[in-house]
Amino acid sequence: MKRPILHRRALVLLAVVVPLAGLFGYVALRSGPLAPVAVTVAAVESRPLAPALFGIGTVEARYTYRIGPTSTGRLLRLAVQVGDRVIAGQVIGEMDPVDLDKRIAAQASTVNAAEAALREAQQRQSYASTQAGRYTRLYEARATSEENAATKRHELRIADAALTAAEEQLARARADREVLLAQRADLRLIAPVDGLVAERTADPGSTIVAGQAVVNVIDPGSYWINVRFDQVGAAGLAQDLPARVVLRSRGGQALQGRVLRVEPMADAVTEELLAKVVFQTMPEPLPAVGELAEVTVDMPALPATLVIPNAAIRRDHETTGVWQLMERGLRFAPVRLGAADLDGYVQVAAGLERGDQIVVYSEKALAAHHRVQVVEHIVGAPR
Amino acid sequence: MAGNGIRIERLSKRYGEGDTAVFALKEVNMHVAPGEVVGLIGPSGSGKSTLLKCLGAVIEPTTGRMTLGDDVIYDDGWSVSDLRALRRDKIGFVFQAPYLIPFLNVTDNVALLPMLANVPNAEARRRALDLLGALDVRHRADAMPSQLSGGEQQRVAIARGLVNRPPVILADEPTAPLDSERAMAVIRILNEMARSFETAIIVVTHDEKIIPTFKRIYHIRDGVTHEEAGEGRAY
Amino acid sequence: MISLAGRDILHAWGKFVFTGVGLGLLIGVTLVMAGLYRGMVDDGKVLLDNSGADLWVVQQDTLGPYAESSSIHDDLYRTILAMPGVSQAANVTYLTMQVRKGASDVRAMVVGIAPGSPGVTPGWPAYLVAGRQITRDHYEAVADVATGFQLGDRLTIRRNQYTVVGLTRRMVSSSGDPMVFIALKDAQQAQFLKDNDAIWQERRRTAADPELNRPGAPDILGTVNALQVANPYVNAVLVTLKPGHSADVVADSIRRWKRLTVYTRDQMEQILVGKLIATSAKQIGMFLVILAIVSAAIVAFIIYSLTMDKIREIAVLKLIGTRNRTIAAMILQQAIALGVIGFVVGKISATFSSPVFPKYVLLIPRDSIAGFLAVLAICVLASLVAIRIALKVDPAQAIGG
Repeated sequence: MKRPILHRRALVLLAVVVPLAGLFGYVALRSGPLAPVAVTVAAVESRPLAPALFGIGTVEARYTYRIGPTSTGRLLRLAVQVGDRVIAGQVIGEMDPVDLDKRIAAQASTVNAAEAALREAQQRQSYASTQAGRYTRLYEARATSEENAATKRHELRIADAALTAAEEQLARARADREVLLAQRADLRLIAPVDGLVAERTADPGSTIVAGQAVVNVIDPGSYWINVRFDQVGAAGLAQDLPARVVLRSRGGQALQGRVLRVEPMADAVTEELLAKVVFQTMPEPLPAVGELAEVTVDMPALPATLVIPNAAIRRDHETTGVWQLMERGLRFAPVRLGAADLDGYVQVAAGLERGDQIVVYSEKALAAHHRVQVVEHIVGAPR
Repeated sequence: MAGNGIRIERLSKRYGEGDTAVFALKEVNMHVAPGEVVGLIGPSGSGKSTLLKCLGAVIEPTTGRMTLGDDVIYDDGWSVSDLRALRRDKIGFVFQAPYLIPFLNVTDNVALLPMLANVPNAEARRRALDLLGALDVRHRADAMPSQLSGGEQQRVAIARGLVNRPPVILADEPTAPLDSERAMAVIRILNEMARSFETAIIVVTHDEKIIPTFKRIYHIRDGVTHEEAGEGRAY
Repeated sequence: MISLAGRDILHAWGKFVFTGVGLGLLIGVTLVMAGLYRGMVDDGKVLLDNSGADLWVVQQDTLGPYAESSSIHDDLYRTILAMPGVSQAANVTYLTMQVRKGASDVRAMVVGIAPGSPGVTPGWPAYLVAGRQITRDHYEAVADVATGFQLGDRLTIRRNQYTVVGLTRRMVSSSGDPMVFIALKDAQQAQFLKDNDAIWQERRRTAADPELNRPGAPDILGTVNALQVANPYVNAVLVTLKPGHSADVVADSIRRWKRLTVYTRDQMEQILVGKLIATSAKQIGMFLVILAIVSAAIVAFIIYSLTMDKIREIAVLKLIGTRNRTIAAMILQQAIALGVIGFVVGKISATFSSPVFPKYVLLIPRDSIAGFLAVLAICVLASLVAIRIALKVDPAQAIGG
């Protein structure tokens, strides 16, 4: 019969060996490739979805009036500075007339001369008219020859024609003068509408070519935002959708607006759709033209529909789907997805039922044979 | 089992060859009967150790004959093939120092020998405990050697020497470190064991305290032995 | 028969455990070294797996996009998309740079992912550990937890600020830099658009050039300026294949017709592991060999000294008739016990210390098993020396004089 030996030493040794063996077992089973993968799960739920589009745009003026001369010349004066308000018809500057004033003066003299010529022709005509009448009366009284009477009538007709010529000359001289005056007026730069001077691209004394803008005037009431949306995912962009605008210089302050129109021409190079968004009420102070704005267009909300967080969407070879947690383990469920909102929720069109448990976050890429351990949140990630 | 004790005839041991040869033992004759306790006395360098090693089947003699019990061990050049088994089964050793295995307890130190001879553990331990009881150290059966006094260790060593009931026991200075009372106790035990188990015991010693107790003494000097009758004093 | 080795270990357990722990730490270091190598190879594999691509299309004659810089036009993907067998083709950019958060910055690989959706478009992070994927076209980022960024942090990459909306794990470049995913257009800007000062200088230079700044054609200047800050280049096109199509066949057709360089998954792996990692792998391999030799030497020394401590007991055992076999078994068993303790301690210390290393340490069972067998082999070989000594002991030593 063997005596049971209870050595104190053996007990102490067991106290060392057993925890060591336990630790080793833990290490073998719980770490490395044999360990279960930590995952978090969520239930597929049904909730309303508020899809939205996000794009970046720049503030632009709807109408920009580039004011400049129609012919090459030198800028004489400019009466406005950037930031000045102008009203329609206001003279904001003037080109150098050079010799135009003198030509106008010359033309004035021409007009005067034509007027004098007209007076002269009028005098002659009236004299000829008087003479023709006198001689006609004389002929009727047989006091003169028919030839004389005919001659005086002939002179009257000549004087009439000369008068007409002188009148037309005068009209022509006046018209020429109008031309020069119009040209002179054209040298003045006039603001076409009420607005704000946005740019002053030249200073007095510079030579300006025809068509070159000297001053840009914009209508601040007509500011809009030219927004670009990535074509992928921009389905549903339409006119009159409400939008929220955050100007870059005023981060945090969301301004209300709406989509004025969706441009028929998209950008083929950058693959973006373009749209114009206007403010509901123009913000005070005015934003600067060219400032960046982040625009979120709210699409019509969908009624309660099955949604999943987009972090759950995975890919298994060529199919898109989610990992579903079943009693037996994991199963890859292919899904067909619909609209998405900006908070990461995506509509499930087909492939899942309400209440299905799906894997949202995981420690590593999953495969069907993996054992999983459901946790509250993944270690190493913040709460 | 004990047979005729141990007998040596004309045992010689030569070290070296030719001109440089040294004879540690020259024609030694010795005989110890079962139950007898004889002394072996000699100065250092006398060939005492060599004789002991031959008796202990540790080294082989050059010539001569040695019989243990009924078995011939050496015969002029021929020797038994497995000296180790011989040592294990037929010869018991008691040393000057106990030389107990420090990592075995007292019982296992003694029981180790029968276990080496393939005796089942339980039986081996039983034999060990019996002997320990006979030697009056049974109460220390579970202790480790380091916990025993010198005298207790020596007794355990003696028990180890006896446990396999060998026909011969070689004791090398067993009482050297002990005082006279304890020395006498050891001599007493040896004699008792010799009688009980019919063991032939050879005690190598120069301890004046115990020499008078021997009835027969072998003196060895320069490799030669001669026998002499001892006092046979009571102990 | 009792176990001599067991009794000896029980008797001197402190010494054994202490020695075992010391040996174990050495073995642990060796396992971590092997794990470092595996981690580097895994970094490369993970990079390829996480991109979700079957083919990589890069600039002609480059090893890009990871091993070498590659630059291709961003509209090339359209023609690739039209090729037979191609399911998805998406642009991607990679740039390793410093990403700033507040006052601190982190070295990260900024990945520009093409507009699309997770699970469909290659290049998107394959899985998240928190938050969500990018939903807006600009100014959102998904970062790897190794960057230290949290959800909601504002990052600065070049000239823009990004909000962290999602977190990933194990999304790293082949050199172990964590990844930050942003929209492709933002990334293209970040790659090539310089800071404001440089842009202003560029504009001035252009305006001073009379060829470009003609008074009669004021629009040319604006066009040239816009051209200078535009960036129509990407680093690669990631391609996924339709089921049933072979990667090699499709890759070949793209190569032939589009005159681009195309790599399949296997080829990319070869490039990453064979070229990028090769030097580091060699270094680690050398370290492993050195550590193995040192471990073997230490184990041999320990067992030798343990045996020498017992030399007298061995002589006594031999004298009283113990078989050589038994004595050899005792020494061998002790050596193996030491090896086992050492390995257990080593494996535990390796597992608990590997997350602390800045680079990814991957401990796989195969390495552990190989390590275990190696430790046992070393212990057995080391014990042979001690056994030889023990067997040579003369039992006569026990008999004094």
